[in-house]
Amino acid sequence: MMKLEAVIQPSRFESVKDALRELGVEGMTVHEVRGHGRQKGHTEVYRGREYTVDLLPKIKLEMVLPDSLVQTVVETILKTAKTGKIGDGKIFLSRVEEAIRIRNDERGESAL
Amino acid sequence: MTERSTPLPSVANLLSACEERRALIRRSFERDGSGIPTLHALCELADETLHRAWNILHPAELRRFCLLALGGYGRRMLFPHSDLDVLFLFEDEPAEKKFKPLVAELSRTLWDLGFRVSSAGRTIEECRRVEEDNVEFHLALLDRRLLAGDAALYERLDTRILRDSERRARDFLTTELIKLTQERHARYGNTIFHLEPNVKDAPGGLRDHHAWVWLEALAQKAGSSVRNPPPLEEPAASAIEFLSAVRCFLHYANGRNDNSLTYELQQNAAQRSLGAPADSRSDPAEWMRLYFQHARTLNRRLLQRIELRPEKRRSLWAGRLRTSARAARRPFLVEEGRLILADPAALADRSGAFAFLLAAAQSGCPPAREAEEKLAEAWRWRADPIESAASAWPRLRELLSARFPAVALRPMHRLGLLADIFPEFRCIDALVVRDFYHRYTVDEHSLRTIEHLQELAEPRDERAAHFSDLWTSLDRRELLVLAMLLHDVGKGMPNENHVAGSLEALEAAAARFGLDPQEKDEARFLIEHHLDMSATLLRRDIFDAGTTAAFARTVETPERLSRLCLLTYADIHAVNPEALTPWKAEMLWQLFAATSNHISRSLDRDRLHIVYETPFLEEVCRQAKARIEDVEWFLEGFPRRYLAAHSPAEVAAHFTLYKKLAEEPVQSELKARQHAFSLTVLTPDRPALFATIAGVLAGWGMNIVKADAFANAAGIVLDTFHFEDLHRTLVLNPGEAGRFARNLADIVGGRAPLEPLLKGRLRAARARPPKVRVPLAVRFDDASSAHSTLLELVTQDRPGLLYEIGSVLARCGCNIEVALIDTEGQKAIDVFYLTSQGRRLGAEKQEELRGALAQALA
Repeated sequence: MMKLEAVIQPSRFESVKDALRELGVEGMTVHEVRGHGRQKGHTEVYRGREYTVDLLPKIKLEMVLPDSLVQTVVETILKTAKTGKIGDGKIFLSRVEEAIRIRNDERGESAL
Repeated sequence: MTERSTPLPSVANLLSACEERRALIRRSFERDGSGIPTLHALCELADETLHRAWNILHPAELRRFCLLALGGYGRRMLFPHSDLDVLFLFEDEPAEKKFKPLVAELSRTLWDLGFRVSSAGRTIEECRRVEEDNVEFHLALLDRRLLAGDAALYERLDTRILRDSERRARDFLTTELIKLTQERHARYGNTIFHLEPNVKDAPGGLRDHHAWVWLEALAQKAGSSVRNPPPLEEPAASAIEFLSAVRCFLHYANGRNDNSLTYELQQNAAQRSLGAPADSRSDPAEWMRLYFQHARTLNRRLLQRIELRPEKRRSLWAGRLRTSARAARRPFLVEEGRLILADPAALADRSGAFAFLLAAAQSGCPPAREAEEKLAEAWRWRADPIESAASAWPRLRELLSARFPAVALRPMHRLGLLADIFPEFRCIDALVVRDFYHRYTVDEHSLRTIEHLQELAEPRDERAAHFSDLWTSLDRRELLVLAMLLHDVGKGMPNENHVAGSLEALEAAAARFGLDPQEKDEARFLIEHHLDMSATLLRRDIFDAGTTAAFARTVETPERLSRLCLLTYADIHAVNPEALTPWKAEMLWQLFAATSNHISRSLDRDRLHIVYETPFLEEVCRQAKARIEDVEWFLEGFPRRYLAAHSPAEVAAHFTLYKKLAEEPVQSELKARQHAFSLTVLTPDRPALFATIAGVLAGWGMNIVKADAFANAAGIVLDTFHFEDLHRTLVLNPGEAGRFARNLADIVGGRAPLEPLLKGRLRAARARPPKVRVPLAVRFDDASSAHSTLLELVTQDRPGLLYEIGSVLARCGCNIEVALIDTEGQKAIDVFYLTSQGRRLGAEKQEELRGALAQALA
């Protein structure tokens, strides 16, 4: 099992979510986050006041996937989250030792 | 007594008897769905079982120890999975020690028999002292009754110990109970209208009934017991029966003490017409309306009880206030934060009712419950036969544009007045529309949006701070509030798309009230596009210039943008308390600021070429009775915003002025609006024109709050100024309007000097210290326009400011191509598109201008 964390543009979230649902990804955790990588913030002047946005709004997705699905999900996110501009985000993968369903103590991939 | 692992044989017999009786009670409930009889049957079962267990465990007669039922069990309202609240009462500490094993055994036995025992143990002396940190226990004690054991001990507790201590603690318990109720209501957003309500604890739930009973008990006269609540009357009795049945149903369905009326269980309850005449409420939405009707009964009864509690002493000061208000013929006054009627005759007709509601909306003080009842009566019985919807609109407009419109709209909705005025609103009354995000019924959501807007006057958190200025400086607030009221009305209509239904509702209301076309169009725009801004936030890259440009094309004017932004803010906020995260609020603000900047910085990129505007042009020609090529010539080259900001009727009026330029080269039109005047001036361009008009207004003591200046391709300038008549010169002297127009034409036409008019005025204005100091900010932008340099200027507002700025610009040789003037409180926010000798300003000119402005505005 792998844990996938993806930081994506908010505007791409709906498309990514729909595409993952079609693939059969049944659960994910979504966070509204702020941050920046190479894409730095910018400054907007509104009515004489300067607003610096150095941490840009992003959506962070977290999901734990069976090994068989990891590659397809990564490719799907790459395809649907990409706009080609700086700030499209990143995907992180890490190995997961165990998953346990609290309701019935089910374990392993069947608990996902 | 020793530990044991299996129940005694006689207790085991009890268990099977218990289970059998429980099953019987459940079957009976499933058959007839009656609430109170089920509770009584469960209570009888508990009483009998407890007596039998007591006798098995301690057959001999007991002294110095007894067992009491408290809380719901005490008042014989035991739900299938409720706790069994009991008190073990001991004569003294030695008795407590002696009976401890029996207490433990009895508790265990009751658990084994399927009762969830929630017990407390006290000596009789301990009961004398009121535990201030355990008010709930003392409230539960109000429902006490003897179950088993030493009756004399119970009698002593009931008639001597507690009667005395409860009488002494009456005020304390009442205050604490009200505090607990308010905290409980606040946890549920102070509303009964939840999509999935908790039938016990939410406002309107059974806990509201218990609180009412306790308040009644505590309010009984000194010398009497606090434990004789009055008998139940309708409609409360039906409400309690209904909610009891619903709670029983939930316990049985969930198999535990879970009181959430979820969508799924609403559907099941509706299917079996629970608490309703058979087959009459099979639609879950209709069945939920029945639920809300009963919840509203219990909630109103409790709130009224809290507000009107007879034990509350009216202060001498409050009495004097009422007397002096009556003497001064003031019909309403504020008492303890509530608007009360000093003179009941003030509600003699609907006009008086409107005045009362307006006073609430302006003061932010909700009507007292007593006044609410009188208001409902006045509305119901004293309808003015000549009252028509069209004549009601000016009064309604005043109410909707007040600082706290929801403070009036709430009681109007509660009393059914709102649906009287807006029958369209009736279809969303207590309407449950299922989704995973909304927490409240549609009507509740709509009213909450307006409450969230009015809260912006005093923002509570960082998230609201950005939007506060927008709300407080918003023009035509009533259009936004009207749109908020109707934006989701379509959800109660059969239309596939709720927006279409809401627009139909607006059409009907606009026709009834006689809204002018511009008012209707503005409200229509807001309803039609009420989901656009949140959709843009979530589905578009808001930092992309193309997104802002496209969104700016949708909203067209800064006024619409402000209204739509506030609507979106309030709409998201009212979905549920967590919906408007700081993240979303920040995104919304970013989109707003970027779009606002785009609109003000792209005016001369977006010029009118009238050939593309045929339908609009035809309408103007029809209204102005003019030839199409003449109107085309007039409009060619104006910024597109000109058409967005003016209706065909207004453009036709401007064209009529334009046609008169041959007779008099300065044409003007003065109009009185709701809170300000507007002046339109049409004249060929000339040096310092904008400064001169601003100077005339300053000379007449007018405070400019908003202005714009446009020119067409032929060099005809159209300036519009919105100003406040600070000295009420035009209001009190209608004849002065003509003199003002002549004076303006003479000065702008160069036939009279401006300086004598201004003499003294500006000096006096500068002498007045500002309430808030706003530092001067000057910013030049050469990137946004291909032809002009944008000057964005923010400074302290004051009378004559625009004249001073215009004069500096003229002295520096700058020509104003376009001007957008706005104010937010004490802050003036101006954007000028400037050229010098037909070109953008060079760096040197910009520095010269910056210095001159700093000097003039210091």
